[in-house]
Amino acid sequence: MTGGDGAASGGVDPRVLARARVRVLGVPVIDASEPVPEGTAAAGDGERVWLLPSWPDGATPALLEEYETAPMPLDRSGQARRVLAAALRCCWTRPDDAPWPGAPAAVADVLEVYGGMSRGDADLARRWATGELRRLADTGWLLLDEESGTVRPGPRVALWAEPSLASLRDLLRRLPEPPQRAEGGDE
Amino acid sequence: MSPTSENAPGAASLDDVLVGEAVLGVYRQMFAALARDSGAVVDDPELVDVAETLLAAFADAGEDGLSREQMRYVCRRYPADVFENRLRVLKGLGAVREVFPKPNQLRYRASFTSVVGLMFVRRMMLDGGQSEMHRLLALEQLNVADPRMTAEQARGGADGLARAFRLWSVELLTLTNGTIEELREQAPKLWGTEEILIRAERLHGAILRRWPELDRTCTDLRAAIYAYGDASRRAAARLSDSAGTTRNLTLLPPETWRTFARTASREDLAAVLEGFVFDAAAPWHEPSAVVAAVEDGPRATPPRPAPPRPSVPDPGLSDDTGSDGAAVERLRAVAEQTLRGNDRVAVEDVLVEDWAASRRLLADLSSAHLHPELPYRLVWSDALDVRPGGSPTWVTPGWFERTAP
Repeated sequence: MTGGDGAASGGVDPRVLARARVRVLGVPVIDASEPVPEGTAAAGDGERVWLLPSWPDGATPALLEEYETAPMPLDRSGQARRVLAAALRCCWTRPDDAPWPGAPAAVADVLEVYGGMSRGDADLARRWATGELRRLADTGWLLLDEESGTVRPGPRVALWAEPSLASLRDLLRRLPEPPQRAEGGDE
Repeated sequence: MSPTSENAPGAASLDDVLVGEAVLGVYRQMFAALARDSGAVVDDPELVDVAETLLAAFADAGEDGLSREQMRYVCRRYPADVFENRLRVLKGLGAVREVFPKPNQLRYRASFTSVVGLMFVRRMMLDGGQSEMHRLLALEQLNVADPRMTAEQARGGADGLARAFRLWSVELLTLTNGTIEELREQAPKLWGTEEILIRAERLHGAILRRWPELDRTCTDLRAAIYAYGDASRRAAARLSDSAGTTRNLTLLPPETWRTFARTASREDLAAVLEGFVFDAAAPWHEPSAVVAAVEDGPRATPPRPAPPRPSVPDPGLSDDTGSDGAAVERLRAVAEQTLRGNDRVAVEDVLVEDWAASRRLLADLSSAHLHPELPYRLVWSDALDVRPGGSPTWVTPGWFERTAP
């Protein structure tokens, strides 16, 4: 995902600059009242809007695989995706709806679900999962609020195409249930 | 080739008055192809082509040579005045001369030296003096190894080479201090200098080994070689400095770019892509990839096939654990109940109920008979009783009896 985009320094259309900035910054967040630069997709939750890359013809970076091009290297991708699945199990409470914006869930619940999915030292699994939660939050896949200890789906899940979600919904139903305590409360 | 190698450096000594005229003759023939008239060098490359066409025709003509009309026919592509001019100059310089030096001679022949000179000129035009230098060095190397070579000849060769190197480094220095455009134009002259240096040093070593008395000449040669090396390095450095400001990657050989990529600092490398915008890299998690990751991941409980279950409710564990004691006690109880205190009882008297019950009892009695620890046995006779109304319709008479323990 490193497509070059030439942008000289002076006298450039501000919209082009805004778009370039969006692409460089990853998933920046702007106020809902601000205009969305051209050529980007937006995922908003009412107050804020996250600017996302948009691809032509509904393609996603998964297309790289068909062209036998290496995607962005990712350490322990399986673990990251399992943690993402555990977080979605907790946050995506109404699986018939779209995953975005979802509902906040306690990080402790996510760790609990992840512990139920994995084998071995539970303490170690929690620590791994915490690290993965942070990494997923850094790249816009989750929104992590460390102060209140809650997590919500990140704006990037809004890029998932609806037809591709069936198997994920199926999977989430099979995952262990989150503990039946407070809704999104911290402990 | 020998005129080329001796004359190319332009260093042949002219102090010998006697041979001077002969040497001048060779020079005139060699450069006749380049001469516009007897006093100056051509200013149009087409004039060289006329000379070459003529010489080629002479080579094909053989010993008879060519007549003036034949020469004109060969050069029919060129205007008449150009042809006349060339022929006059070539004749004047001796490149084309009469077969017999007589008046009104109609047939002409060409000079061998002029052809060789023209070959040399063409080569110089094609790839410059550098490849000629390679040839010279190789020739000198051969000459030095030649046992007939004298010290004087070696001194002459070394002097010539030293002079060539000196002039070459002067030219390079001029280039280095001149405009960068000129330097770029002449850049091919700078490539492959390492090889020339190595060859020159090898030649220098060979001369010095064979004629130690030539150490003075060799010192000059060595100094000239080093001066040339320095000059070419400086010119190359200036060129590679300025090449960084251009996008024309062919200005430098690929090796230089490769070295740059390996040794440059991060800032230098980053400067190459200034003005480009790259998307922020982020991993992409396709829903199907998430599903695959969960399903391939380690599980809390490894999946095992469930054992087969009966369709009826399970009554739980049976008391009969199959241990020997319980079976023996049961058989003893059945046997005692059958004997009713007697020592022996007829089998057909026992099997009075329906066959389903009788056969179970018969099986128990057989087991008691076969059990080695139980003091009972079944004794069968050889007869066979038919009982049409009975439950077993035939019975072999026999006795179930207690044996002595």
